[in-house]
Amino acid sequence: MLNFISLLKNEQMKLYSRFGTWSMFIILAGILLVAALIVFVFGDANEETYSENWKEQLTQENEEFLEVSEEQEYVGFDSEIAINEYHIENDIKPHPYDAWQFTLANAEVSMIISLFTIIVAAGIISNEYRWGTIKLLLIRPISRTKILFSKFVSVLILSVSMLIFLFIISLVIGAIFFGINSWNPDLVQMGAGGIEEVSIFTEILTQYGLNMVNLIMMATFAFMISTLFRSSAMAIGLAIFLMFTGTTIINFVAEYDWAKYILFANTNLGQYFGNGSPIIDSMTLGFSITVLVIYFVLFLLVSWLSFTKRDIAGN
Amino acid sequence: MTTSMELQDVHKSIGNKQIIKGLNFTIKKGEVFGFLGPNGAGKTTTIRMMVGLMNITSGDIKINGISIKNNFKEAIRHVGAIVENPEMYPFMTGWKNLKHYARMIPGITDERIKEVIRLVGLEKAVNEKVGKYSLGMRQRMGIAQALLHNPSILILDEPTNGLDPSGIREIRSYIRNMAEKEQVSVIVSSHLLSEIELMCDRIGIIKNGELITVEEVQDTSTENDDVTVKLDLDDNEKAMTILQDQLELETKIVQERVVANLPKSSVPQLVRKLVEEDIAIYEVAVERSRLEDKFFELIGENTIA
Repeated sequence: MLNFISLLKNEQMKLYSRFGTWSMFIILAGILLVAALIVFVFGDANEETYSENWKEQLTQENEEFLEVSEEQEYVGFDSEIAINEYHIENDIKPHPYDAWQFTLANAEVSMIISLFTIIVAAGIISNEYRWGTIKLLLIRPISRTKILFSKFVSVLILSVSMLIFLFIISLVIGAIFFGINSWNPDLVQMGAGGIEEVSIFTEILTQYGLNMVNLIMMATFAFMISTLFRSSAMAIGLAIFLMFTGTTIINFVAEYDWAKYILFANTNLGQYFGNGSPIIDSMTLGFSITVLVIYFVLFLLVSWLSFTKRDIAGN
Repeated sequence: MTTSMELQDVHKSIGNKQIIKGLNFTIKKGEVFGFLGPNGAGKTTTIRMMVGLMNITSGDIKINGISIKNNFKEAIRHVGAIVENPEMYPFMTGWKNLKHYARMIPGITDERIKEVIRLVGLEKAVNEKVGKYSLGMRQRMGIAQALLHNPSILILDEPTNGLDPSGIREIRSYIRNMAEKEQVSVIVSSHLLSEIELMCDRIGIIKNGELITVEEVQDTSTENDDVTVKLDLDDNEKAMTILQDQLELETKIVQERVVANLPKSSVPQLVRKLVEEDIAIYEVAVERSRLEDKFFELIGENTIA
């Protein structure tokens, strides 16, 4: 165990010794800064501050929503109207736009972290081959299995670090631009069984968690490709391509029942929460988790077999 | 224990092709063993099997009696190695690179790392990024990482590749030092005889995956061995006549030098004679050509890169 921690330290040291890793954090902060500026300058953040007679404001909003829906057939504001009515009925004053709302709105940025994680996962093995350092790495009294898993765990540690960074920097940037009203405000939103009140913090964590599923699966896939072919370019290309086309492919084949066994039909667990519905009716949360676990184990098994059994031959 | 490493009928096949066809030899404790052969003879493959980077198709390699095949972790603990070029992480400092490898073996203190850095003379450069190092410095870093855990066997694959003459000399003296003072067994591979002849006790010659011969390298030939003597004299004609008539030696002239073959024990007599005859002697060079001849004979001159 002690030397596994040493291996993790080594991997983290190698990651953070390169500018590429730092640039990922810088890019994340940059994206949030730009997002905050856009909302601040063009957004409706300021308009949504509700005054003393907020109930009248909400009623007026609902009337506007109704007008628009009558004019345009395809635009529905049912859930917005319901949420506003809920506020009025239960005498809950809506929170103005603040750092928490900003953080929640930008939870989607964790998709970028998926991209970064894929890049790191794709390089962590193949770079050792490229640099030639794999030879010096594998002639130590440590099994190849341990080295492989230390690298995999390091990728996960880095991606969790980036998520924590994203959360903190969102709150900080949000607080600077929009202020912060309370420490853990509640949020009224449309849930699976109608309108519900949830803690905004829980909601942010849920969003991050759901994106984490996709992140881990694609990173593991990239890790496998990189171990198998010792090429980071190929691993990055393939993983990102599949990440973006995966859902489209699923939509094409959704009419067939076997489509539910495809990885990408299951990576978005959000389909079982809130007002989502599964891509294929016969799918359940338990089913998706089982499929994900099977793919996960399979990817790692392939990586492990190819890494431990293979000869380290010349360049 | 006097045997450091033992190769037992080692075979390696890749696909249907046999690359190593049954190697058998042992390396003694405190010995510098040269592993010589033309490029592509199987030197690097053999070394990669010794350190567990490649699987052994059949046979076994034992390090201090422990099989690298069945007990990799225990066996490799005693080995320090450079396989081909000493590649390091270019974006990290020398210190971090060494720290990285030190963390992988229990019990290596920062003190030990400093000691090794002093040994290879990299004190000044250790806080610079390895990417800025010269090839010679990287080679020394390579040796430093191999020595971190006080190995009893040091394996160096082409350690002088790409080094300038002073670098080669430096490496040579390190290696001799390690063997003589620390009783470390050293295995050095090369495709150049001239390079390893000077630092090895024994040289194994490999060709097409087979060990052709293992030769002792002797610093001093025994009394009865024939040696070739090259003489730089002021009067070659006179000297040749004297040597032929009085000592009954076959002589010839090569590159303005008088060359003769004679038993080593007769060399002093030859010198005395020339002095008596009042011939000025600028140089008497005794050549140990035996190994070189044998090498060329076995390998063929053209195959040496």
